[in-house]
Amino acid sequence: MTPFASSDKIPATVSKSAPFDLETTVAGDVSVVGGVALGEKLPTLEQVRGPGAPRRFALAAAETVVGRGQQAHVTIESTLLSRRHVLFRRSGHELSLVDLDSANGVFLNGVKAHAALLYEGDTIQVGDVVFVLHEAPA
Amino acid sequence: MSAPIFVRFWGTRGSIPTPGHKTRRFGGNTSCVEIRSGESELVCDGGTGLRELGLELLQRRQPPRSVHLFFSHMHWDHIQGFPFFVPAYAPENELTVYDPGSGRVEELLHGQMRSDYFPVNFSDLGAKIRTRHFEAETARVDDFEVRCFEQAHPGRSFGYAFELGGKKIVYATDSELDRLLVNRDETERDAEKLRRLPSELVACVAGADLLIADGQYTDAEYPKKVGWGHARANTVVDLAHQAGVKQCAIFHHDPLHSDELVDQKIAAAKARLAARGSSTLVFGAREGLELKF
Repeated sequence: MTPFASSDKIPATVSKSAPFDLETTVAGDVSVVGGVALGEKLPTLEQVRGPGAPRRFALAAAETVVGRGQQAHVTIESTLLSRRHVLFRRSGHELSLVDLDSANGVFLNGVKAHAALLYEGDTIQVGDVVFVLHEAPA
Repeated sequence: MSAPIFVRFWGTRGSIPTPGHKTRRFGGNTSCVEIRSGESELVCDGGTGLRELGLELLQRRQPPRSVHLFFSHMHWDHIQGFPFFVPAYAPENELTVYDPGSGRVEELLHGQMRSDYFPVNFSDLGAKIRTRHFEAETARVDDFEVRCFEQAHPGRSFGYAFELGGKKIVYATDSELDRLLVNRDETERDAEKLRRLPSELVACVAGADLLIADGQYTDAEYPKKVGWGHARANTVVDLAHQAGVKQCAIFHHDPLHSDELVDQKIAAAKARLAARGSSTLVFGAREGLELKF
C-alpha cells in the first residue's frame, strides 16, 4: 500500500513519474506525503494559515510527521513549530493525531490536545500554522 | 515534580450507547474517562467505553496491572462495560473499586453478571478485586488525593476531584445542577442571569484545570426532563465560571443528539461564557480525545 517507509523523507511535491496516479486520487494543488495505491482516495490536510499557505497535503502514508526539522515528512519553516511537532496516523478508516511533546502544543478546534481521533472539518493549529482536515470522500 | 496527568475520553454518551454515523465524532460509547499519571491508572465509570480501554491497557501496560475504578453511581450506562473489561479476567491483575456511599457497589456489579444477564459470573473473574470505601470525603490513591462529593441524581450519584502535583481534574457526571440553584426564581424570570450553585459545590470544583460535567440538555429541552438527574449545558458553564475552572468538558451527551446538535449545544455554552467575559474554555467531550496536564 505504501511504497515509502514512514521514516523516509518524502518529497514535498511528487513528480509525474511517481508510482501512482494523482489524477484519480486527489484534485487540486496537492502535495502527496507517502505512497498512494492506484485509485485510492486520500484524506488531506488543507493548510489555511502559516508559511506556505494555502496548500494541501494528502495523508497517504500510515504515519506523517509535521514539523520544522528535516526529520519531518512535512517540513514547514516556522520557528513556532518543533522539529517533529505532530504525528498524523492512518489506520484503516481511522485518522488520529499525537502531539510529539512539542514546545507549543497542538490545538484541536481550539482545545490543547495530546491525542485525538480526527474527523471532517476539524481544525488543527500548530504554532502559527492552521490545517483543516478533510476525510477521504466515500 | 510529578509526572504529567493524561485524561482520555473513552465514552462520552449518556443513558444508552448510540453507535452510528450521526454520532461518530463525539462518540456513542457510554461514560468512561481514564486519568493516568506515571504508573497510576484511574478510571471514572464503567460504561461501554471501558471495553476499549481494557483492550488498550493490555497493550500499554505489562502485568500485573493495577486499576482504580471510581463509579459515579450504578445506573446501567455507567456499569455496562464492566463485564467486558478484559483486565478483570486475568489473575495477575488487581482492581480496586471505590464505593463512596451506598455500600452496594460490589453487590450491584455481581448483580449485572448474574446468569440471567451474562454468561460469566462476577465470582469467576480472575483478577484480585477489592472494594474500598471512602471512610471520609478524601482518600489517597497512589499519589493522587481524591475527594468525593454527593450530587443531585435519582438514587444518588457522586462526583470526584482528583489532585496531583498542583493539578486538579474533576469528574462530575449525572448531576441535575438545575435542582440545586440558589437563585432559581431569578433565573426562571431571566435565563441569562448567572445560575448560582451552592458554595459547597463550587468549592469542590474551584480552580479545576479540567471539569468534566454532565451537560446533557439544552435550555429548551430541560423543562420536559426535570427530575431525570441531568443538567443543562448552560448551567454547567455557569458553575465552571463561578468556580474559576480553566477548561470545561461538557459530557454525557444526550442519546438523541447528533454531532451537529452537540455542536449547537456547545456553541450556546461558549456564547454564554463569552457574554460574561469568562476565561473558562468549554468544549464537547469526544471519544478518543486525550488531554495532558
